[in-house]
Amino acid sequence: MSEGSKRLLSTLLVLGAQSPEKALPVEEFAMKLGIGVSELQPDLDRLAESGYVVTTRRGDSTRVYLTGTGVITASSAYS
Amino acid sequence: MLSWEYPPRIIGGLARHVEGLSSALASSGNEVHVITLDFPGAPYEEREGSLYVHRVPVSVPAPTFHSWVLLFNHFFEKRAGQLAHEFGAPDMLHIHDWLTVPAGVASKHLLRAPLVMTFHSTEASRSSNSPSTESAMVEGLEWWGSFEAARVIAVSGWMRAEVLSSFKLPEDKVEQIPNAVEPLKFEGPIDAKAARARWNVTEGQKMITAVGRLTSQKGFDDLIRAYPAIRRAVPESRLVIIGDGHMRAELETIAEQEHVRENTIFAGFISDGELVSALRSSDVVVVPSRFEPFGIIALEGMAARVPLVVSRVGGLAEIVEDSVDGIEVEPNNPSAIAAATIKILSDRELASRLVARGEEKAKSYSWGNVAKKTLGVYQDAAKVTKFE
Repeated sequence: MSEGSKRLLSTLLVLGAQSPEKALPVEEFAMKLGIGVSELQPDLDRLAESGYVVTTRRGDSTRVYLTGTGVITASSAYS
Repeated sequence: MLSWEYPPRIIGGLARHVEGLSSALASSGNEVHVITLDFPGAPYEEREGSLYVHRVPVSVPAPTFHSWVLLFNHFFEKRAGQLAHEFGAPDMLHIHDWLTVPAGVASKHLLRAPLVMTFHSTEASRSSNSPSTESAMVEGLEWWGSFEAARVIAVSGWMRAEVLSSFKLPEDKVEQIPNAVEPLKFEGPIDAKAARARWNVTEGQKMITAVGRLTSQKGFDDLIRAYPAIRRAVPESRLVIIGDGHMRAELETIAEQEHVRENTIFAGFISDGELVSALRSSDVVVVPSRFEPFGIIALEGMAARVPLVVSRVGGLAEIVEDSVDGIEVEPNNPSAIAAATIKILSDRELASRLVARGEEKAKSYSWGNVAKKTLGVYQDAAKVTKFE
């Protein structure tokens, strides 16, 4: 996993985005990371494909949250 | 009991320890409350007999992992306070590793309850090659917890020596109490053929299994580098690596470079039941860790009646007796891993002998014994704790 992907998982963990209700709008997530959505999206797609995050549509925005596997993987770097 | 992980949030052996210990303590007539973090799909509140699990959501975002830890400790403190109001002040507080030290220490003084701390690992041993400001904070919290605790528990002799020397604690303050294994989990019928088929292990093939977080500490890269030699001796085999983590892509690349990707399965995280089936269906379990304060997977392998190859490190070397109930190899040595694995896979008599002795040994590591010893530590902690 790239350092960038690790950072994404870790950031979602500390922001508390680990359920559909607490999913974070992708635009807001990109802003918090200091990058553009177009830069973030390919990494999110890869993480979703590996089962670490889920992206959902709510209204006009796409949101993202960690799966159980994502929570454990994000935490495993610190245990 | 304060712990950042509790099933189904299983990061490492700590979750298994807290689950086994709290359940055994509750079974022997104690009321046990586990305060832990919430997890997708798990209920916030759970009760089984006198075991209560309180999963706490962290409702405030944090900028970094380490500030998040401090933050969730505040939520743990709040829950501990609510529980004291609802059930009465606890007779004992028990924290596990640095991650719950702030909440444990604060609760000790606010609720005037004795504190016990268990070390499952230390920052110094985890990050010896990469000291950082975060590591300094973690080591500080470890010291603080060990200082504030009336008694300290270490999960292996190796861990005990590490804690004694790192934090300059008096010998009689630190007790060694190991992890354990629940043998009943490994009883009953399983469909081994179906379990092996799940990982594409066909009839006649040998299933080589490794379990753990995919991090450098676990040494799975050495196992993958050992696998070509194993395949030359035992061509009909598959390597099944169970677990996930940051090193997954790197390990997949190494498997490709070693030309064994096709026969190496990266299973990811699987459920407890699936893990038991996988272990019981394996021909050998390899634990190639570079560092392992305890190594609960070795006990689980023994309970599952599977021969073991383990690194001669930390707690693993204390669990396994070389050539008696497993084979020990030097860490960071793919050739040694290959030789030991081939030996087990090609000598059925040896494998049976190791399994028989391993099964006996696993029985001696029971959660009932762990609970009994831990209660002894609680009594000592209560005796020496005084509040002005």
